Amino acid sequence: MWIFLLLSAGLFMGWSLGTNDAANAFGTAVATRVVKYRTAIIIIAIMVVLGALTLGHNNIDKLARIATNNEVSASIEDVEAALEAGTLADLRLKSALKAFIVFACAAVTVFVMSYLKFPVSANQSITGAVIGWGLCYADYSNPAVMKGNVTEILEFASTWLINPLGAAIISFAMVFIMKKFIEKRLTSMKNYDMIVKIGYLAAGAFSAFSIGQNSSASVTAFYYDSTGLGANLIYGNDGFFTGARITAIIGGVAIAVGVLTFSKRVMMTVGGSIAEISQVDGFMVIVASALTVLLMGKFMGIPVSTSQSVVGAVVGAGLVNGVKTVNFGVFKRIAIAWVSSPTAAGLLTYLVAIATKSYFA
Amino acid sequence: MLKKNSSVHTMIVEQIKDVEKCIINFENFMRAATTTETVHETLRALFIGVQDAEADADRSLRAMIDSLSEGSFLPSTREDLISIATSCDKVANKCETIAKIIVFQRFRCPAIYAEDFNTIFTITKEQFELLENSISMLFSKMNALQKDPSILDNIRALESKIDRIEDKLQEEIFTMDISLAEKMQISHVVELLCDLSDIIEDIADKIQIMLIARKA
Repeated sequence: MWIFLLLSAGLFMGWSLGTNDAANAFGTAVATRVVKYRTAIIIIAIMVVLGALTLGHNNIDKLARIATNNEVSASIEDVEAALEAGTLADLRLKSALKAFIVFACAAVTVFVMSYLKFPVSANQSITGAVIGWGLCYADYSNPAVMKGNVTEILEFASTWLINPLGAAIISFAMVFIMKKFIEKRLTSMKNYDMIVKIGYLAAGAFSAFSIGQNSSASVTAFYYDSTGLGANLIYGNDGFFTGARITAIIGGVAIAVGVLTFSKRVMMTVGGSIAEISQVDGFMVIVASALTVLLMGKFMGIPVSTSQSVVGAVVGAGLVNGVKTVNFGVFKRIAIAWVSSPTAAGLLTYLVAIATKSYFA
Repeated sequence: MLKKNSSVHTMIVEQIKDVEKCIINFENFMRAATTTETVHETLRALFIGVQDAEADADRSLRAMIDSLSEGSFLPSTREDLISIATSCDKVANKCETIAKIIVFQRFRCPAIYAEDFNTIFTITKEQFELLENSISMLFSKMNALQKDPSILDNIRALESKIDRIEDKLQEEIFTMDISLAEKMQISHVVELLCDLSDIIEDIADKIQIMLIARKA
């Protein structure tokens, strides 16, 4: 029962994320018909699973720890106490239920906002939901715990600034340097079309890989038992297929299913309306954003918003052609969506946490 | 991919050559039509030459469109190329239409306008040659054309020149001592003749838009 609950919630979240994040990899290419929708989703599905398989486990540990700190997953102390009291089954069920609620609140938020055509961040919604749960259970009388929670929240929140800013800087540098290099090779429409087509295919595949690495953790980190004591679904550190790696692969597959089934709507909406950028700039923006996401995973170990990095990269590329080319109105609208999605998810989870506190406490 | 696109390039070149052939035949036709000694049978024979060339241009347009569907150009490029090719075909169509009117209505160009008619046509031909070069550059020196689109500006400048001649002619025609029907007929032929230049200018505009959209 508890396995089914946990699995269904995470898989739904992954599916929901896939419907939304596919747009970041191939949105522009599909909307401008450079790449066919069918081709795009097949490439994304393969590369997302590959990204999750090779690098996805890096983010799992960190997110699992944050879930434990916010009372979503069981801590070592909880598991040891449950083992002593013989209530491990009960602890597992409660952990699964809590994870299910967090996932469900985040998934509902993402689904509703995607339906309203906002390029919302699923990763942020999950973070918001975890924090929302943690705020309900936080021990406000213990300064050490409070300090730890605040540090964690600030670390997460810092990615909301570092991620788009980093993407903007990388994108600006890439577009500035590459423009001259590519411009020389645009001697004919044949070359132009070939550069654009290959560029978008390569950039989209790279971006999908980064999504797999980045987002698989968000949807399945709560499956992973960081205590190693069997308080959760997946654990173990032996061989190539460690618990963290298996967890990431499950997340990658769930995202891939979302991409394959319901991603067209958002993909057609996202098309680079933030800045007037050329098609050549378009695929460099995707590469810059994917590179930022991979670097964020490498150096911070935190799943970041791929939508934020794309927007940052688009602004960076637009700035190469001058500040006037950047549509800050659209930028503001998207920024509001970034703030509103974790807030809405957090608030929803907080309310559910209050309503269920008598059962879980 | 490059091989397929090269075949599209060849097809477009062939289509433009056919339109050019139609223009050359039309030029011969017009020179005869503005010469008072030309007999109707000669004009009719020359008209058939224009018609045949127009039919060839139509055929090569269809072949070009077919080859585009097999090529690997991006959809936006395909749309642009079809738009340019169909507009070039309109030039051939217009030549045929004018020749048809002249032959069927037994139109006789007043001797005093012969020189103006030939000037209009000489400028139009010059415009088309520039257009041919600019289309060719799209396939070989696109970035050079992006940096220096003066060839397209020259096409527009020639169109303005024709506009001025047309205005002068249209004004003069209605001061002539001939019937209103004749005035209307001459005015219509002048208008059609000058339309050729407008079509070529429109194609130049399309090329410029293509270049802007493909700027790195």
